[in-house]
Amino acid sequence: MSWIAIGALAVVGVGIPLGMMAASALLRPSVPEQGKSATYESGEIPTGTARSFKFNIQYYMVALLFVVFDIETVLVFPWAVIYSDAVEVVGITRALGPMLLFIGILLIGLVWAWRNGAVSWTKSPRATRRKTERGDA
Amino acid sequence: MGALALQTEQLLPEQIAELLGLSGVPGEIVGGLIGAFLIANIMLTMTAIAGPWAKRKITAAFTDRIAVNRIGPFGLLIIIPDAVRLLSKELIVPEGVDRPSWDLAPIILPASALLGFAVIPMGDLGPVNIHLADPEAGLAIVFAFASIASVALVMAGYASNNKYSLMGGLRAVAQNIAYEIPLIITALSVVIFAGTLQMSEIVAAQGTALFTIAGVSIPAWYAFVNPFAFVLFLVANMAEIGRNPFDIPEAPTEIVAGYQTEYSSVYFVLFYLGEFIHIFLGGAIMAVVFLGGAAAPIPALEFIPGFVWFVIKIWAFFLFTQWCRSALPRVRIDQLIEIGWKGMLVLSFANLVLTAIIVGVII
Repeated sequence: MSWIAIGALAVVGVGIPLGMMAASALLRPSVPEQGKSATYESGEIPTGTARSFKFNIQYYMVALLFVVFDIETVLVFPWAVIYSDAVEVVGITRALGPMLLFIGILLIGLVWAWRNGAVSWTKSPRATRRKTERGDA
Repeated sequence: MGALALQTEQLLPEQIAELLGLSGVPGEIVGGLIGAFLIANIMLTMTAIAGPWAKRKITAAFTDRIAVNRIGPFGLLIIIPDAVRLLSKELIVPEGVDRPSWDLAPIILPASALLGFAVIPMGDLGPVNIHLADPEAGLAIVFAFASIASVALVMAGYASNNKYSLMGGLRAVAQNIAYEIPLIITALSVVIFAGTLQMSEIVAAQGTALFTIAGVSIPAWYAFVNPFAFVLFLVANMAEIGRNPFDIPEAPTEIVAGYQTEYSSVYFVLFYLGEFIHIFLGGAIMAVVFLGGAAAPIPALEFIPGFVWFVIKIWAFFLFTQWCRSALPRVRIDQLIEIGWKGMLVLSFANLVLTAIIVGVII
């Protein structure tokens, strides 16, 4: 039943930005000028598009790691909810043991990723070289 | 007393439906819509005070300057001309933007942050219980809604066709995924105490007194029960809402304005609005999970309505973010990733396991 109320807030939450956009459309001027619509690149004429931009592999590495840990949090949720009741029924060993094993396996995974450098920021070789040449590496 | 009173209390949509003499599904829809409208307006009002006025005043106070003081008492009426000014700016659409996604991002960001408030119990104001919905999975839902925001940031970053924007969007994702897990795991260590994900019950579970020192009873708020989790959650929350020292998705000195570089006029206002509502949502989650929701800190102050306490707690968090903004330097992207994955993640798991052991032994 609470979903109707949550849905209502979703409707209002989308409605407010749309209303503000409509109000702004009535108020704002439109003066199209040459050069105004160029993307901002610190005042220079933009080179190429942003879509061909090369970015650090690290963003991909941590995203992979996130998938694993995010699924893991989903599995910890129900355990945390019933934990204190479960301790009373089956005792601490049987309530906590399997979860410790589960978290332990994941932490071994994290240690592996850590040692392989998946969670350390990769610096581009060119930037490192430039730094070394300047002598402040 | 607190637990029973909260459970029997009617939610806002039911109260409105009763007041209008409606029942069944139509009553729920009308009550839900009016209730949602009220809650959205409470948040918009708070944002309107925070954005054009409080933020300037606070920053000015920190940096020993004078801010807006010309219009109205303490310059408060600056809010109205500022709102008109921001809405009447020209909207510049840059070349090569990915159109539907560029327009959708400024809608998704404030909408996702507002949606989080659906399950937040904001306390009583007279006979009115300001709480829209109370599903059993409340805490999971509020985290789910709050993380939709990073979808908006990546959409804005990609669609803008600007290198700074794209970098900002990527950074936003890297940051949110690095701190999402510590945030949820730390919240789960509190769920172990409460034994439920329902927001009203988490608040009710904090209703008793922890201990009494010299006649002053300390409430059993989880910030006092598990202060380590409180600190971890505070740090992860700051990163999750992208405030200093974790504001690297915007990082004005590095990547101009990050994902919002190419946005102007009302679109920029919507991003700004969404960020403020997101800060308040972060504060609201802190208040519910760690600071006893809308409860008064000591029984002697219970004559002040719960809603007032709730607003005080959210604003305390807002002030904290502004304090950090003035006092702490920004971390670098590599430091951010390492703090998140090597520090916060390990500490949050340690906290979860320790809490589980302590709770298990005490029971």
